[in-house]
Order: sequence, then structure tokens, then C-alpha cells
Amino acid sequence: MRLQKKNTAETLKMKRLKEDAQSVGNILIEIGAALMSSGASTHRIRITMERIAKGLGYGIELLITQRALMLTIIEKDQQHFFSRLKRISPHGVNFRVVSGISHLSWKVMEENWTVAQISDELNRLKSLPHYPRLVILGLVGLAGAAFCHNFGGGYIEMTVAFIATVVGLFVRQEATRVKFNPYLCVFFAAFAASLIAGLAGHFKIGAEPDKALATSVLFLVPGIPLINSVTDLMDGNIQNGMVRAMNGLMIAFSIAMGLFSVKMILNF
Amino acid sequence: MILLEILMKSFWSGVAAIGFAVLFNVPRRVIFSIWALGALGGLIKFSAMQCESGIVFASFLGATAIGFASIQMAHTKNSPPLVFSIPSVIPMVPGFFAYKMMLGLIALTGIENTDAYMKTLMETVNNGSKAMFVLISLSTGVAIPMLLTRKESIKKSKFNKNKKVVV
Repeated sequence: MRLQKKNTAETLKMKRLKEDAQSVGNILIEIGAALMSSGASTHRIRITMERIAKGLGYGIELLITQRALMLTIIEKDQQHFFSRLKRISPHGVNFRVVSGISHLSWKVMEENWTVAQISDELNRLKSLPHYPRLVILGLVGLAGAAFCHNFGGGYIEMTVAFIATVVGLFVRQEATRVKFNPYLCVFFAAFAASLIAGLAGHFKIGAEPDKALATSVLFLVPGIPLINSVTDLMDGNIQNGMVRAMNGLMIAFSIAMGLFSVKMILNF
Repeated sequence: MILLEILMKSFWSGVAAIGFAVLFNVPRRVIFSIWALGALGGLIKFSAMQCESGIVFASFLGATAIGFASIQMAHTKNSPPLVFSIPSVIPMVPGFFAYKMMLGLIALTGIENTDAYMKTLMETVNNGSKAMFVLISLSTGVAIPMLLTRKESIKKSKFNKNKKVVV
């Protein structure tokens, strides 16, 4: 009788441990997926997830790739573990999430947050608003004008680059909204932007129209894939680095195709 | 006059950095820092180019400066370094050379005459190698300070001393 009672208590404890490992594993893999889709480097994802796991008292083993994340979470006496594989859907860069998760991981260490608290914070971070659309359009347009100034364009070229960038970004946002292939979205945006800049050149607006044309597509440059690629390669995550570099090259190729089409149409 | 031009260019580099920061949805409190970092990178790059150091090395210097400054910013503003470094390094991307290279490559497909072919080929290779090496120097310039200071900063951080490691 007593033995049986002890057995039930142990089973209950084991069940609880297993459930704990499960919930911790689920929340960790959510965090990793959020980080990957918002543009963090592989090493950052690894240290953040390991830090949170350590704060909660678990060890983890990870396999991080661009489109999937694999996690095994190990309880301290190595008896209860939990594995999960999660597919990562690309959402577009969001540094607010990266920054917030970094805060979160330190809070788990410092203030001993529970799984429920982490989950609430993660949901809050994911629901944080983006900047208003007009602000984004205006500031990115200004960035296009700034590029044009730095490559030696005058005020007329800067205005052309501003308008072309705004229209191009608008086209990209709309194309992304109706879920075109991401590279096709970049192609459309490059096409629209360079068409406007090219038309300005066609009607002889401005002294150096090729500067406006070259800088009107610069808002599309794959900065994050390329920089993260080198960071990953230097950290020894060769596979991820190559994947990111290839992704960046594909985007660059789409931009080139957009420019090329406009060149064929306007024949400059 | 040259100084004024450099200052103007660095100001506009900062503006371009803000554009990308907004596109990448950074937290609102770091936007001014990103402008400052972009302007700093532009200032160093254009000053170095004024001293005839070549665009590749100048971009490398600017990117390295941004990398180190972004780690400092990360400590004061409590955000990861990449939030600062990536938007502020993008204004230095060699878009004009990449564009020239692309136009050259397209032109090469249609040229028959050998002399004109050689001339276009030379220009294309020149522009293309500039674009490629500037890109490489930008990303290594940003990555190197992160790699250099990482060990140190993790050891130094105050959380490491008084927490008990369970695993």
C-alpha cells in the first residue's frame, strides 16, 4: 500500500516534470522562430535561447536553419526531455522584436520570470505596432534622396529619387500584402522605382538622370541578409551564412532584373 | 568648402540610416542614435576618401567605427548591437557601382567589336570588384567589433556574477 502511494507520487512528479519541459520547450521554440524571422544572426538566436533556458533551469541542444528550428530540451537529471521541430515563416525584419526578446532573456535571468510571464511578454512584443505607413514611406523616400545626394546628385535628382523610392516602396508593400513571391515583390518594386526615375531621364529632367536611376532602387538592397551572412560565416555557421548570402544574391538579382526591364522598355 | 561638403554628406548618410531604421521597425528611443551612427560612419568614410585612401578601405574604416560605436550604444541604450549597426551601415552600400556593373554586363551581351568590348569589360570588372569588395568590407567591418568584444562583454555583465547556474 505504502509502496503504491510512493509510486503514484513519483508518477505525478514525473508527469509534472514532463509537462514543464514541454511548456518550456514550446515557448523557447516560439522565441527562436520569432528571432529568426525578424532578422537576428544565428549566434544571437543560440545565445538568447540558451540564456532563457538556463534561467529556467534547463539545458538545450539546438539546430538552427533559415527555415526550420529544432530543439531538444533536457531536464537537469537527464531523464525527461522534449524535442520539437518548428517551421519558420519569414515575416520581414522587425528589430523591435529582436530588442524586446533580448530584454526578456535578461529578465528571465535577473527576475526569475515564469513561463506564463514569458509567454505574455512574447505575445505583447509580437503585437507591437509598426510605424505608420505614411511615416515609413516618407522617411524611406528621404533615404533615397539622401543616397542620391551622396552619389553626387543635385536637388532635382534628389526629388526624382524621392518620388521613385516612395512609389517603389508602396508597390512592394502592396505586392507583399497580396502575397506574391518575395523575389517577385522586389522585382515589381525595382521596376516601378526605376521606371519613374527612367521616365524622368527620358524627358530630360535633371542634369544627371542616371544618378537618380541608380539610387532609386537602393532602398531594396538586401542589407540584412548580406551582413548577417558574413556574421554567420565568421561565427562558423557556414551553412546558414551560405543560405543567407544566396538569399541576398537572389534579391540583388531581382533588383537587376527590374532595372533591366526598364532599360529594355525605355532603351537608354 | 570641402569640409562643408563632407558634413553635408554625413548628415544625409544619417538621414538614409533613419529611413532604413524605420523600415526595419526599430524601437523609437534608438532612432536618434542611429542617425548619429550613420552620420559618424559617413563622416569617417568621406574624410578617408578625401585623404585618397580608396573607397574600399574608407568604407571599411567607417563600418568598423560604426561597429565599435554600436556596441557602446548597446550598453547605454539596452538594445542588441545589430539594431544600431545594420541600419547605419546600409547608407554606405555601393549601389552606384553595382548599378554600373549591371549596365556593363548587359552592354557586354550586345557588343561585337573587340576594342569596345575590351573597354566595357574593363570598366565592368572595375565597377564590379569595387562593389563586391566594398560590400565585403562593410559586413566584416561591422562584424569584427562584435566578435572582438563579445567574450569580454558577456563576462563583464553584472548578471553573470550573482546568478546561480542550474544546468
